[in-house]
Amino acid sequence: MHLVEAVLLLSIVAVLYRLFGGPTSWDRLLAYNSASNRVVVLLAIVAIVSKQQIYLDVAIVYAALSFLGVVILARFMERGEGHR
Amino acid sequence: MIAKILISFGLVFVAIGTLGILRFQDIYSRLQASGVSDNAGLGLVLLGLIAYQGMELQDVALAFLLFLLLLTNPIVTHSIAKSAFTQRHTGAKEEG
Repeated sequence: MHLVEAVLLLSIVAVLYRLFGGPTSWDRLLAYNSASNRVVVLLAIVAIVSKQQIYLDVAIVYAALSFLGVVILARFMERGEGHR
Repeated sequence: MIAKILISFGLVFVAIGTLGILRFQDIYSRLQASGVSDNAGLGLVLLGLIAYQGMELQDVALAFLLFLLLLTNPIVTHSIAKSAFTQRHTGAKEEG
C-alpha cells in the first residue's frame, strides 16, 4: 500500500504543477479538481490502512465541498468575471 | 489478489491521466484526459479498496464515496467545459 500512496502523491505533485502554471483560469480549476479527487482517494487509503473509519467521513465531506466550490467557481467565470 | 489487480489498473489509469493533464495542448484535451482517467482510475482504486478486506461496515462508506465521485466528476467536467466555451465565444464576439 505504500507504493499506491507514493504514486498518488507523485500524481498530486504533477497536477499541482498545472495548477500553479496553467495558462488559463480553467486549467487551474481543472487541476484543482483533479488534485482534490486524488486527495479524496488518498484519504480513503489512509482510512483503510490505519483502520480508523473517521477518515472516510472526512473524505466524503471533502469530496462534497470541493465539488460545490469547483461548480460555483465555473459558473462564476462563465459570466466573464474573475479570470484573465 | 483481486484487490491488487484492481488497484494496479487504477494506478495505471491515474498515471496516464496525469501525463495527459501535463502534456496536452488545449483546455478541452486536458478536460478529456482528466475526466476519463479520473473516473476510471480513481473508481478502480476505490473498487480495489472495497475488495481489500472482506465484507465490513466501512465498505458502505467506500461505496458511497465511489458513488459520489462517479456522480460529481462528469458534472464538474461539463461545467468547466461549458464555462470555457461560453467565455471564449462571447469574448470573440466582443473583439470582432
